[in-house]
Amino acid sequence: MAYPYRHPDEVRLLSEYFGDPEARTLEGWRRRGGYRAWEKALGMDPAQIVEEVKKSGLRGRGGAGFPTGVKWSFMPQKPTKPHYLLCNADESEPGTFKDRELIRWTPHQVLEGCLLGAYAIRAQHCYIYIRGEYMEVAQILARAIEEVYEAGLAGENVLGSGVTVHLTLHLGAGAYICGEETGLMNSLEGRRGEPRVKPPYPAVAGYFGCPTTINNVETLANVPHIVLHGGEWYRQWGTEKSPGTKLFCVSGHVRRPGNYEMPLGYPFRKFVEEVCGGTPSGAPIKAVIPGGSSVPILAAEELDIGMDYESIAAAGSMLGAGSVIVMDARTNLVPPVRRMVEFYAHESCGQCTPCREGTAWAAKILRRIERGEGTEDDLQTLLDVSENMTGRTICVLSDSAAAPIVSSIQKFREDYLAYMRRPTLAGAGA
Amino acid sequence: MSAEVPERRNPGFAGETGEFVHLTEEDIRGTAYAGVRSPDGGHPAVAGTVPFLRADTDPQAPLFDGPYRERLEKILRRYPDKQAALLPVLHLAHERRGYLSPETMAEVADVLGLSPAYVRGVATFYTMYNLRPVGRYLIQVCTNISCMLCGAYDVLRAFLEHTGTELGETSADGRFTVIEVECLGACGFPTAVQINDRYWESVRPEDVPTILASLR
Repeated sequence: MAYPYRHPDEVRLLSEYFGDPEARTLEGWRRRGGYRAWEKALGMDPAQIVEEVKKSGLRGRGGAGFPTGVKWSFMPQKPTKPHYLLCNADESEPGTFKDRELIRWTPHQVLEGCLLGAYAIRAQHCYIYIRGEYMEVAQILARAIEEVYEAGLAGENVLGSGVTVHLTLHLGAGAYICGEETGLMNSLEGRRGEPRVKPPYPAVAGYFGCPTTINNVETLANVPHIVLHGGEWYRQWGTEKSPGTKLFCVSGHVRRPGNYEMPLGYPFRKFVEEVCGGTPSGAPIKAVIPGGSSVPILAAEELDIGMDYESIAAAGSMLGAGSVIVMDARTNLVPPVRRMVEFYAHESCGQCTPCREGTAWAAKILRRIERGEGTEDDLQTLLDVSENMTGRTICVLSDSAAAPIVSSIQKFREDYLAYMRRPTLAGAGA
Repeated sequence: MSAEVPERRNPGFAGETGEFVHLTEEDIRGTAYAGVRSPDGGHPAVAGTVPFLRADTDPQAPLFDGPYRERLEKILRRYPDKQAALLPVLHLAHERRGYLSPETMAEVADVLGLSPAYVRGVATFYTMYNLRPVGRYLIQVCTNISCMLCGAYDVLRAFLEHTGTELGETSADGRFTVIEVECLGACGFPTAVQINDRYWESVRPEDVPTILASLR
């Protein structure tokens, strides 16, 4: 049951105990089958775990969708330096709130995933980088970590197996860019969270130059289930290339917002209109952002697709973190796009000129349009700026800012023109 | 627009509970389970994560004495080198003093063997470190897309009206500073508001007086 609404079409792998306060405690979690996968794994070779996860086809849930088992297999088989697992709990993509829900209801599910992931890549230390704003749920996770140490499930010689895995909870301090894996590593080294140039990739030279893997909270939360039941079992849900279930975070103009755990490939239109109850105003849907503010916006007529990585990519957007933002027909897209671009302008780390300048100027132009002072030439300028922001920077923040601009101008040009014809519209969409 | 919003199932400020009508605010926030963390940080694994936006701060407080010294030492043990402990140590300083003055940053630099300029360079990168004093309650209203679509600017305006402040300014009595914040990650529970170290979710403009009254 996902939270705070449920639907019979959900597959409750990760979210079965959302809304069940007892499941938070170690005792409650163990009564629900917790840490059996960890006990099982301690009798397995790390390579076997990587193999199971590969077989499952699990893909990274943080946005990029890279196959997790393959990512793990890039780590050296025979460590010559310490290995590190970094759990990315810096969830800050606008529209995304699944990791917070996973942590606040099932902290031990996340921790078991961290322990398994660390063991699989032969890391003795896993840092959980949680965003600074999540102070409240961080306290839940902190308590859970204390319980895990008290029970001997983490630390040195776990349950007498000779295996060492330490967990350290690390609080960020407010920077979207630290969710980017190399930005996160820099931040965890006590630096400004500026992304690094790749290569070298983290598996070669990551945290303090050591082999490192960074996985999203939701990705790791899947691992205990895969280890316990096997990779083949996981493939009973989803599609061939996007197996399993995914937490979709729904917000904006829907009657029942929240997290829903759906098998990948679930029909998108049915999801928004039936599972989430459609729009509160009863007005038709106008636009949907399928994967968080960084991905191209889809128009309502493009929704007859499955919710999986390939189908959404074929429609010209991305599944991203599964963050579905719905806008009804009464919305003019200019204010939301302006707000998203302002976000990127605020969060740009400033290393790369196309991003630092591009996001700031695009935000300025969009504010001007919203004030009713824009011209049609501004749209071409925005498209030119966006083109210069795409594929020319160290990380993809700049591309992310361009995505809503380009897609909204292409699909909802009329919304921009409305501001140019009727300056009095300014602010109406906010 | 409010006429079209569904009725609230379980009023409270831990978010709309939807079909989970039996849940209390405490159940959702997990405060009893999490407990209150001690100044020494508890287990070293979590010593760096004590909430650092607090109402009871003292700009003159010593940084690394008693339990705070213990916490510093626990934090240092968890990282490969001292520099890596910079964020948690800045959190500790922020928790005690309420903001990071140049003097505070210099003290942190000293204890970690870094230069004050380096620490300042890092501290200014992150938005959650206040570089100047703020009100006893720092009210951060999320106005990013999901909250915005559901009326966040009305909530922001209500906070400004009821506290009698301008955006980013501190009220005359020193109690409140109201700012806009980027996505708080509670998009399904709009509008999300963070006041010091706690979240208030599903906030509507009419809730603002009640929330402010609870802070007094």
